[in-house]
Parts: sequence; structure tokens; C-alpha cells
Amino acid sequence: MSSSPFASVLAALTRQRGVRASLVVDENDGIVVDSNLQIGQDGDRVAALAASLYRKARLSARAAQLGTATFMQLEAERGRICAAGRNDLVLVVVADPAANIGMIRVEMIKAAGGLP
Amino acid sequence: MSITAVEPWVEIPLRKFVEEARTVLGLLLHPSGQVVAQFGFARAVDVMSACALAAAIHASAGELGKQLDGKPFRGLHHPGRDRQLYLAEAATPRGTFIFLTVFDQESSLGLVRLYFDEFCKSLAAAAPAAPRRVEPVIEERFEQELNRNLSALFGRG
Repeated sequence: MSSSPFASVLAALTRQRGVRASLVVDENDGIVVDSNLQIGQDGDRVAALAASLYRKARLSARAAQLGTATFMQLEAERGRICAAGRNDLVLVVVADPAANIGMIRVEMIKAAGGLP
Repeated sequence: MSITAVEPWVEIPLRKFVEEARTVLGLLLHPSGQVVAQFGFARAVDVMSACALAAAIHASAGELGKQLDGKPFRGLHHPGRDRQLYLAEAATPRGTFIFLTVFDQESSLGLVRLYFDEFCKSLAAAAPAAPRRVEPVIEERFEQELNRNLSALFGRG
């Protein structure tokens, strides 16, 4: 179990029903800062891909003059990836398709606000 | 992106890496410094310099790793202001190669490492089964071989 400053945030997110993994990722490098993963989850892969997606989404939102991106969600056949960022860090959650995404979204936006 | 390879079996794995990792320059070389494949370079002289430097950095990092950690360092990341460099070993049935790639803000270290791992696997799978004769790092024909490889990549001597 992680004992970093992000441990409690990650633990709270992973307690949500249907959440398979939660990670704090460096947005520019796509490298895991801290994570809470269920067995079988590839944290490095999720971190690299989700950070890249989030970064592109954030830049696209800005280029489209939509302002700051606060939350990104990717829905796929076998799961969802959610991301919320602040400064250079991104909070990433991997969840089951049936997970309560509303609750996860609320928790993530709240937690992202507390990122340094 | 133009990819050229001295050994044809390298080309497909390298092309896949370039497309996925979105890096801007890449070199695959023998630890001796002989080029095997490249993408993104326009001039043979730049490939020659990059190969020599990559081989030297790899040898130095390997020795440093042995002294500090008891085993050679396998990968090196150097972030610049606009561009970053990643250099690491790729093991295949045909021996170990050095891979050097340069990327900018279109990619990230995480993506490069992720796709480099996949590149290593597909390179090892694509390598012909018959092992090559193990050759000394520096041999009499080194310069001749180097020029032959550069000619194959850039179409001139």
C-alpha cells in the first residue's frame, strides 16, 4: 500500500464500486507518480496512454476556446478511463463499464482540486 | 517518415514504433556503432555521428552501471528544453542492439518506454532464427562495413 501524499486520495477513489485502478500521473512525461491498482492492471501502460489523451484533450479544449478542461472520460467496450488534472498532474481512474461514473466524477474533481 | 534499414527484418517493427510512439528521430545500431536502421535523419554524416555517440554513451553507461549497481544500466533518458532523448538496449536472437530515439511534445517518456517495450518484443520475434557470427567490436573491416551500411541507408557512398 502506498504511503505517499496521494495515498488517501487514491484509496478513496479505489473504494468506489467498479474502480479497477487509480493513479496520479505526470501529465508531460506520462509516468506514474503513485497508484492503487487491482491485480492485473498495467499501471505504466494506463498512465502513458491516459496522460497523453488528457494532455491532447486539454490542449484541444484550449485551442477551441472552450477554456480549461476539468474532466475527461473515455468509454470503451470493456471499461472506462476517466482523467482530471491540475497543474502538471493528472488523476486517472480505470473503471468497469457498469461503475457509477457520476460518483467517480464527483470524487475525482474534488480530489483533483487538492493536487499540488 | 522515411525509414531505411540495412537488415530488412528490422523495418516492420521500427515502422510500427515510429507510428505509435510519434518520435522524430531513431537509430538502431550494433554496440560497435554500426548502423542497422534509421528514421528521421537526412544526412549520412549525422547518422555516423549519432551512432558513434550512442555507442560511446551506451558503453559508458554500461560500465558506470557495473561500478555503481553491479550490472550495466539498460536505459537512459535525457530531457532537453524542446526535445528529449531515450537510449536503451534491445535484445534479439541476433544479439543485442542499441536503440536511440528523440521525441518532442507530441510524445512523452511514458509512451516511448511503453512502445519501446513492444518494439523490443516485435524485433525479437522478427529476427531470423539463425544467429549471426559473433564479431569483435572493432575489426579491420569496421570502416568498410560502416560505409556500406550508410550507402545502403542513403543510397550513396
